[in-house]
Amino acid sequence: MNKVSVSPVSQASKTIWRIFLIILGMAFLFLIFPYIKMVLLMLVIAWLISVILNPLVDYLESIGFNRTLAILTIMAIILGGIIALIAGIIPALIKAVESISATLQSDLIKNLTIQLEQFFQEKFNNPDLARDLITKAEQIGSQLLVKVAGFLKNAGSYVAFVGIVPIITFFMIKDKRLFKRALIAQVPNRYFELFLNVLQKVDSQVTKYIQGQAIDALIVGLLSVIGLFIINLVFDNPVPYFVIIGMIAGVANLIPYLGPYVGAVPAIILTVLNNPANVGYIIFWIIVVFILVQLIDNNLVSPMVVSKSVNMHPITVVIAVVIGGNIAGVFGMLFAVPFWGIIKVTMREVSWGLRSYKLK
Amino acid sequence: MNNPLWENISFKKKSELSDIMQILSNVPIFSDLDSKELSELEKIVYHRKYKKGEPIFRMGDPGLGMYIIVNGAVEIVEEPENGEIAKLAELGKGAFFGDLALLDEEPRSASAIAMVDSDIIGFFRPDLMDLVYRKPRMGIKILWALSRVVGERLRKTNEQLTNLQREMKAQRNE
Repeated sequence: MNKVSVSPVSQASKTIWRIFLIILGMAFLFLIFPYIKMVLLMLVIAWLISVILNPLVDYLESIGFNRTLAILTIMAIILGGIIALIAGIIPALIKAVESISATLQSDLIKNLTIQLEQFFQEKFNNPDLARDLITKAEQIGSQLLVKVAGFLKNAGSYVAFVGIVPIITFFMIKDKRLFKRALIAQVPNRYFELFLNVLQKVDSQVTKYIQGQAIDALIVGLLSVIGLFIINLVFDNPVPYFVIIGMIAGVANLIPYLGPYVGAVPAIILTVLNNPANVGYIIFWIIVVFILVQLIDNNLVSPMVVSKSVNMHPITVVIAVVIGGNIAGVFGMLFAVPFWGIIKVTMREVSWGLRSYKLK
Repeated sequence: MNNPLWENISFKKKSELSDIMQILSNVPIFSDLDSKELSELEKIVYHRKYKKGEPIFRMGDPGLGMYIIVNGAVEIVEEPENGEIAKLAELGKGAFFGDLALLDEEPRSASAIAMVDSDIIGFFRPDLMDLVYRKPRMGIKILWALSRVVGERLRKTNEQLTNLQREMKAQRNE
């Protein structure tokens, strides 16, 4: 049998050269990261959307649609839905922020100040402390609201971002196999099967995980909206903007353990600001709704739709969320756990591949 | 047909197929596919070049798919951990091997090594599964033909086994 003979020295120098190139590439990426951050974010979002939409496109293709037509059909339907949603939500969000802002400057704060002053007078004989506290809280609240309102009113400047993402998504779905082949073409023969097998396994598990999370978020969002809608029906509309709150709850559910609070807290704050009769009783029912949604999610929905392959310890989740938050703010917090899940799956499969294949 | 409207969508004859499609059409597993399906198949196979002596896969590696020789030659050898290397077969242009790996991930039962510089096409299980989902008609044609090939081999193995048993019986009677 003939063997390809490569001297150990040239092999070692090749390896060193490769490691040097990899380090150089990483340093270069680190240097240019601030400039390509936006592009990377667009690529990640487009990739996530493409992973979620791919099964629908594959299904349409399986019943005879041309792939391009299948993608265009699905994207047109979704884009239409998003435009309708934005048309309804953005004005409602601006109105919500303005109304909260107005409420904060209304009698509610004055009454709260008077009550707090009395409380501090009785307990500590120092009413000024209460006034200081309220002023600080008001300042922080106003600054936050100004920021949120500014973000919403500048939504037009994100049009380029919103316009480019669907285009990238389109090509990511259409030419998925082409990209895969182009990537694999660069792999040396020695690692070809290993790379292809590991890539396939990672792709399959990550895809299942992301699709499961998306379905889970959708169901949690819907259940929250339904629960809050029922509260509104029974108690004469105490929870404003319940559709938006439900959607936030659904998206926040991407963060295990912490997500449910992110959904419940805005609902409670908005209800308190709305100041309905028997507010305590309504808050109790809001908490019941979110606990019920979590029970249904944890025991029924999640076990069925979310892949178990990326289960992780609560401490890992908290650390991932904190690091994600530090790197990319709210987006980082949302995507920290799925991202860590992807890294975990990749490491496990690469380790399997290295153990299973003879690379000599 | 001279109508320009129809010229682009007329069905290709086998002689008009690309080289790769021509080779694929001669593999029994793809023999039921029409030219449009062969063109679809051409998009998902991997074209690789191997140097003389370079392994295509090693005995014991997880099975991933099959290979078809476009140009060159490949030897199939047994490489036991502590045993002698035994050559099982020599394959030339147009031959295919490793097809059982399209069905499961069982370890390869032998190694495949390029005897000369060779052009080889790889077709892999994940792509077949993807095809079955996206284009069920085409996927079923491939799986059907694969079952035929496996059935044929089983029939031949049975015949050989029966002949062997008959010979052994005859020897015992002598």
